[in-house]
Amino acid sequence: MATDDQARFDQTDWEEIDESVDHGLSANTKVVLAGLVPLVLLYAYDYTLVGQYEPTFGFVGWGYSVTQLDWLFALSLLLFGAYGALPLYQAPRMTKYYWGEFKRNRPAVVSLAFLAGIFTMGLLGPLVISPPETDILIPYQPPLGFTIGMESVVECAGPVTEAGGQRVCHGSLAHPFGTTGSGKDIFRSVVYGMQITMKIAFITTLIVVTIGSAVGTVAAYGGGMVDEILMRYVDIQQSFPTFIAYLLILYIFGGGIALFILLFGLFSWEGTARYVRSNALAKVEEEYVKATQLTGASTYHIVRRHLVPNTASSIITDVTLLIPAFILFEAQLAFLGLGDSTIPSWGQVLAGGRDALPYAPWVTLIPGLFIFFTILAFNFLGDALLDALNPQAEAESE
Amino acid sequence: MDGSRFHSEGANSRRISRRRWLEALGVGGAAALAGCSGGGNETATSTDSSTPRDELPEVGGTYSRTVSSPIQTLNPIYNTEDGAGDLISYALDYTYAFTPGTEVLPQTAGEFTTDDSQVWVYSLRDNLQFSDPYGQVTAEDYTYLINEIHKSDWAASANTDSWGSDVNVEQTGELEFQIELPSADPFYPETYDPLLYAIPKDLVQPYVEEQDTEGLRQDTELNELQFTGNLGAYTLDTWERGNKLVFSRNDDYYLSGAEDMPQLFGNAPYFETIESEVVQEQSSRLAQLKTGETDVAAVPPARYDEFDNLNDVTVYKQPQPYNVVNSYNMRDNGWNAGPGNLFRSRTFRQGLACAVDKERLVRGVYRGLATPEFTWQPEWSKWYPDDASQIRTFGVGDLYGKEATQSRIKEAIDASEYDYSYDGDRLVNPSGDGVTLEIYHSAGQNTEKQATEFIAQEFSTNAGIEVNVNAIQGSEFAETYWKQEVPENPDEYEWSNGAYNAGPREVTSQNGWDMSMVLGLNTYPLNPLTNSVFFTVEESFYNPYGYVPEWNAPELFQQANETTSEEELQSIFSEIFVEISEAQPLGMLALDTDTPGYSSDIAGPEENFFSGWNFPGWYRQE
Amino acid sequence: MGLGWYITRRVGWAVIVTFIIVTVTWALITAAPNPAVRQAATQAALDGGNPSAAAERVRELRGLNAPLHQRYIDYMVNVYTLDWGWSTMRSQPVTEAMLSALYYTVQYSVPWTLFTILLAPAVGLYSAANQYSWKDHLATGFAFFGYAIPNFFFGIMLLLLFGVYLEWIPITYNSDVPVFSLENARQLIVPVFVLVTGSIGGTMRVARNESAEFISADFVKTANAKGVSKLRVYARHILRPTMVPLSTTIVGQLLALFIGASLLVEIVFGIPGLGRLTFRAIIAQDTNLVLGSTLFFTFIATIGNLIQDLVYTVLDPRISFEDR
Repeated sequence: MATDDQARFDQTDWEEIDESVDHGLSANTKVVLAGLVPLVLLYAYDYTLVGQYEPTFGFVGWGYSVTQLDWLFALSLLLFGAYGALPLYQAPRMTKYYWGEFKRNRPAVVSLAFLAGIFTMGLLGPLVISPPETDILIPYQPPLGFTIGMESVVECAGPVTEAGGQRVCHGSLAHPFGTTGSGKDIFRSVVYGMQITMKIAFITTLIVVTIGSAVGTVAAYGGGMVDEILMRYVDIQQSFPTFIAYLLILYIFGGGIALFILLFGLFSWEGTARYVRSNALAKVEEEYVKATQLTGASTYHIVRRHLVPNTASSIITDVTLLIPAFILFEAQLAFLGLGDSTIPSWGQVLAGGRDALPYAPWVTLIPGLFIFFTILAFNFLGDALLDALNPQAEAESE
Repeated sequence: MDGSRFHSEGANSRRISRRRWLEALGVGGAAALAGCSGGGNETATSTDSSTPRDELPEVGGTYSRTVSSPIQTLNPIYNTEDGAGDLISYALDYTYAFTPGTEVLPQTAGEFTTDDSQVWVYSLRDNLQFSDPYGQVTAEDYTYLINEIHKSDWAASANTDSWGSDVNVEQTGELEFQIELPSADPFYPETYDPLLYAIPKDLVQPYVEEQDTEGLRQDTELNELQFTGNLGAYTLDTWERGNKLVFSRNDDYYLSGAEDMPQLFGNAPYFETIESEVVQEQSSRLAQLKTGETDVAAVPPARYDEFDNLNDVTVYKQPQPYNVVNSYNMRDNGWNAGPGNLFRSRTFRQGLACAVDKERLVRGVYRGLATPEFTWQPEWSKWYPDDASQIRTFGVGDLYGKEATQSRIKEAIDASEYDYSYDGDRLVNPSGDGVTLEIYHSAGQNTEKQATEFIAQEFSTNAGIEVNVNAIQGSEFAETYWKQEVPENPDEYEWSNGAYNAGPREVTSQNGWDMSMVLGLNTYPLNPLTNSVFFTVEESFYNPYGYVPEWNAPELFQQANETTSEEELQSIFSEIFVEISEAQPLGMLALDTDTPGYSSDIAGPEENFFSGWNFPGWYRQE
Repeated sequence: MGLGWYITRRVGWAVIVTFIIVTVTWALITAAPNPAVRQAATQAALDGGNPSAAAERVRELRGLNAPLHQRYIDYMVNVYTLDWGWSTMRSQPVTEAMLSALYYTVQYSVPWTLFTILLAPAVGLYSAANQYSWKDHLATGFAFFGYAIPNFFFGIMLLLLFGVYLEWIPITYNSDVPVFSLENARQLIVPVFVLVTGSIGGTMRVARNESAEFISADFVKTANAKGVSKLRVYARHILRPTMVPLSTTIVGQLLALFIGASLLVEIVFGIPGLGRLTFRAIIAQDTNLVLGSTLFFTFIATIGNLIQDLVYTVLDPRISFEDR
């Protein structure tokens, strides 16, 4: 399929596209398959040949043991790449237009840069920075440029000075963000937390968006019994608050981060579905859908080619609300002491600093600010995307 | 059953950390003696014993306290929490208490005597009154409680294990009853087994006749302490569940002005009201203490110096009996890092003991407010061996470090039937994978978390064992990790003594675990004989970790039980403690100190194990 | 087949939903091992009795050895007759425990909900009307701030600032003060503020984005051209259609916040309400109370959805309900 041709609508061979969508493989699918094959092979290799505690990539000298979560993360990255980034590449003209719209929103550009930074650091940081280590003799070290009274620390990693008859400990380059109550370096913890955050965000969102938008659009288009059954199910799911459901399941069975992601992924798409449906419902009534219907197009075709793209704005708004919601949920659970304590998430670091708040606020403050800025960035980003993707609103405001 | 001496014995009132509270819960023993029980013929340092009667403190004001978690029940028959024990003790006295120096002090029982250490006689005071309509407290109320409830097989009261079927209790007079033990025990009061609350017979009788456990548990009068009459220094006004309790002064307190009490009891108690409030956030509790909104709050080690320097707050260092231990799971669902269970090897456990720098732990995590623990007894205990040189000091000096650790572990794995080995500094299992273990600590307990992270680090550095640190809610751990699943056919096992020792090592808990810091265990410094419960396998009902002693523990404890000579007892205990330090049945780490901070104007708290024994005499200084 | 019939059907459906959810929770709890039974076995062993006999006794007592369908029916009857059992954690009936906790939860959630419902669409509309001006950015920035800052984190920070350093507000919640008193307002103002900033963001953003679409719609242009007053245009032509998609999200978002955030906020501010009760129940392994709060929250959510659907139908005349 000639991707270049697609760049110009007027020259697009619609027949060919229909063909490729309904019967053949699109470029996106090809990319997914191309990525999936090595992924599956590696996975099989890891679980058959490599011992439980041996690093997967031991053969290239990388001492990192890949977890289940990492595999899912890789898969979600692949899918996001194929269905999120690739279309932008496929349609350079539209991409250019969107970018033009997008970059007028300065906070959004900053947000994008911030998130890209978090993403890169989270992905590559753990490869070059060693994990934070416990050193109980240097708890609550202040960040660079700050001080703490010596009575709150055991030893000081930085310089110690006298101020007003009291000895104070200064922050040092060794621990630019200070340390936790166990003497763990907060900077390193934050870098490791980035990866966790990204995993939670991507994997959960992938599950939610896939199920949610599928159910929403199908319900809207299908109508009748299909709509009835799907939406009644959504009702039930919505009535069972995910947070409470998670607590209940945690209470009965216990759980870790994988269960968290799975549960939130599988049981929080009802909002997306409802939202997508209500928007699509309005769109179904529109003339062009009716026209397509009259030409005898298949349901799948209409949903895939018309409803999904046209409810994209709803989906994006929702996703930018969802990702931060998941990050927040994780932090909340960690704060409550119900999270997965074996992962170095921001929420875990934040929760650990709770008791030390009056004299070592940075332990709470630094991861808290990272959570805050990440959620904020997602919001700005989503907002700008929506404006860029919604030319109607745009045209009017000028 | 011998193991019936299983109690949380702490005389201190403030059982702050969840792990300790759980210990009380877990053993289902009597509530802690909860220090705040009045009585005594000996006054202590900070309460001025020479205060003449006409200069007794003024009555008035409010004593307000904050605690970290709400209590579950105030029902004296069912309470197993230390925190609730404290609160009950404001309104309801036990039969006796201890003063500093381990002197037995008469409370509701005016006398507790014995001639032969086998038959013990309780003589009640004659001025004890329940609230209407239950009238005067008689010996029958006590014997009925013991025989019909504690000893019954339906009621499942908290004190059940103190009153085995081989203990005979008989009423011998209007105000007198006797307890006949199966064998002589000169230290019977120190076991806390004979501690009793007064509960009106007429109140519980309907439930006893119906064998109505639920009814007894849920009775309003019991739950809200409405029957306590003059039996406590204060009476409970309101219990706002999960939040707050308010007590007010009991003007008729039976010990007020009692002849055999210290003078300070002359007009006791001295507060008009007591308010006990739940404040979940540690930093909020401490902020309240700082501003004087509350009179007492627990001060964590990390903030000891800060609060010790405040003028308005006095922090007391009070020794307490619970230790910080790393329990190794020697049952079949422990050691999930390969075949065999290396924890079962004494040499291996000694190796692990060499891996943790106890002095560093004490200095870094406990800020010096603890002492390294080498055997199952605090050094201040009078039973601690006089000749301490025989105690092996693992984790200190030559017995600490990579060399000391790995040489012992190598010796242990050479003796093991499985092919463990060292690959460089990393311990690997027979299939060539690095050994990785899981360790649990209570979620939200910062000090415990730090200690656990330190141990994980030390194991990794010195023993070449990777350790994953898991936080878990204490009660969840107790239910699904610590307790075993009682088998359907307990009779088919060599022994099966309930969920804490439901059988030999093949009987396991619902979930597998390797190591745990969640529970601290009592070292029973007043009567170490009780420690038999941790180290004798078949008779005891406490063995969640599946320990089987390599030494003659049952015989030694039996000898200690039989002797009546204190000197002989001392030497048997010495032997026991040396054996324990050698065997390392659990990873003994440290004995920490309670550091409650009080408003400086509160007179009464003391820097000793028994602080709170004269709580009705506490008052606010001008 | 009119609106009345639709509403009747919708309400009937809500009842069925609760029924299904109650059944699911029953199945979950039944599948889990029962702590009470295990405790009894322990006690019996301590007594020197027979653990399996004691476990059997408790099973009998609690009706746990009745046939499955009998237990299910008993459970359902108990749930709907509000006989929710005994809370071991608080030594009182579950319903009593929940009622006393609800008393505190209502005190802050009513003002919070009112503020959110009133402020969010208004700010959103205002922002849309002044799209890309500094006013829009300010409003958006505020909304984003509120939405992005984790409630509990924000709460802790404000408590630290106003409670510990400035001492303007009490550090701990006092349950003794009268509901309508200055002290109560003083101790609730920060929790309500935190919750409102949290809830307003999401809703306001949806309102802004939706109304932005309508501002450019033809019927608004027509109305403007006809010289309809600006206020009327906003109220009738923009706000009303905006409320349609908004209503689908606002209830859901409020509920999610109510359940998640109120729990955290209650813990941070020490309010002895439902959220803290639920959390405590989980910590203390109090099965009856965990179940009770789960049921309560799901009932609330079901009713919320019901209201949302009814509002949706009433507000959008384009959606036909006759043929549903």
